[in-house]
Amino acid sequence: MERDVFSRCHPLTGFVYFFCAICFCAVVRHPMYLAAGFLAGLFYFLLLHGEAGMKKLPGMVPFLLVVAALNPVLNPRGETVLFTLFGRPYTLEALVYGVVLAGMLGTMLVWFGCFSTVLTGEKIVYLFAPIAPALSLVLVMTMRLIPSFQRKLARLAGARRCIGFGLEEQTRWRGKLRCGAALLASLTDWALEGSIITADAMRARGYGTGKRTHYRAYRLSARDGMLLGLTLGLSTAAVTFGGMQAEFLPSVSMERPGWGLAVYCLLLALPVLAWGKEELQWRWCIRRI
Amino acid sequence: MNRKLFLCTLALTVLLPLTLLLGSRLPGRWYYLTATALLLEGMVPFFLSFESRRPQARDICTIAVLSALAVAARTVVVIPGYRPTMAVVMIAGIALGPESGFITGAVAALASNFFYSQGPWTPWQMMSYGLGGFLAGVLVPRLFPGKRSWELALFGFVCILTVVGPVLDASTLFTVSSRLSLSYAAAVFAAGLPFNLRHGFAVGLTLWLAGRPLLSRLERIRRKYGILSRDNN
Repeated sequence: MERDVFSRCHPLTGFVYFFCAICFCAVVRHPMYLAAGFLAGLFYFLLLHGEAGMKKLPGMVPFLLVVAALNPVLNPRGETVLFTLFGRPYTLEALVYGVVLAGMLGTMLVWFGCFSTVLTGEKIVYLFAPIAPALSLVLVMTMRLIPSFQRKLARLAGARRCIGFGLEEQTRWRGKLRCGAALLASLTDWALEGSIITADAMRARGYGTGKRTHYRAYRLSARDGMLLGLTLGLSTAAVTFGGMQAEFLPSVSMERPGWGLAVYCLLLALPVLAWGKEELQWRWCIRRI
Repeated sequence: MNRKLFLCTLALTVLLPLTLLLGSRLPGRWYYLTATALLLEGMVPFFLSFESRRPQARDICTIAVLSALAVAARTVVVIPGYRPTMAVVMIAGIALGPESGFITGAVAALASNFFYSQGPWTPWQMMSYGLGGFLAGVLVPRLFPGKRSWELALFGFVCILTVVGPVLDASTLFTVSSRLSLSYAAAVFAAGLPFNLRHGFAVGLTLWLAGRPLLSRLERIRRKYGILSRDNN
């Protein structure tokens, strides 16, 4: 986590990078590009999450298999018929396309996983605070209240258990639901009272009387400029070099990837490369001591 | 009324068809990005009108509390797979008005995804939850002015089944389909139906049991402190 360059950068840099990466992953169907995107994303995901990341990945495999197998059922075009299902042809090309689709979906999920870890809620709020100050405030307050409410709910449930109205003791659904509703209602009471107190405190401190300023936790540095430049430059280059077109139905045909693929790999491997560079630099510094 | 809002509406009337036109011209899987872009553009007017109203501290706090309640309600695990989030969002819409209902839903979806994981579904979830809150605010006071428990439950069930669920399923449709066809849509919506039924049932049940108590509490707070009073007429 600490070694990840994008985690320490200005949120704008990370946001632009992930926007470009995820857009490419959502659109490009060429298998070689897809493989490059998936591997780069997977590597980054594992670097970010470590051991825990390994356990998260297998969960999406059944879903992807269903997506791959389903495509030929719903899309009967294609030249090579493998067999007929429900009187419709199940074709090889459609199956290949299904596998590509599943790959795209998997790639997007992996990249979104990285996005969630790198661009945390506070960074997104920081990014959008100048554009939508009130909404950002609502979002940031909501994110602060959720864990607090969960703790309060646990306390309320404990109190109800003491007087014999615990959720666990209810055996029938009716009782469970009544118990849940009572919990929700008492939490609401407590929360609304709290909200009025918070609001009065905010008003007493002059909320809404002037322009809202915010603490600048991040500054755009030279490194941000370089990363932004690289992201935008490589994205533009990947689009102009092209070679990422592929058609699967009715027959499989794809362009020969040229320099475009190299540029694309470089773009998507950017976080991993930056990580490697930091790691090497660190090792080098330690050795010199 | 507001210059900023007017300009934004003008920009959107140009931007929306432009996105649609551009998206339909590009080959391949661009329809996924087109649909997401359209969705985001569709949410802008709601957000902008909320911003331009210059909400007071009390409005902001109430909406934040209701969004957080909606997310935290998920942990009142009574039955596995039971999601009462939308029930709280709908209550917010009914009590505070359609606009605040939309904001509550959208913020609840976004915030809960920061705790679980962001994904291609995030904008769709924001839109569908927001729409649920918005529709509750628009329809319930007109259709069911009595706001009886069974009326709220019925509205919740029907709204999930016809609006909230299908919008969520549309996210699946756009992410997994190889082309937009009727058979794909039918398959995705049919596969989503059991989930929507269960979701609708959970929300209806929550509204039936907790709807009126929550509403009366909100109503009391609203009358006592005058929160979001401009919004409701």
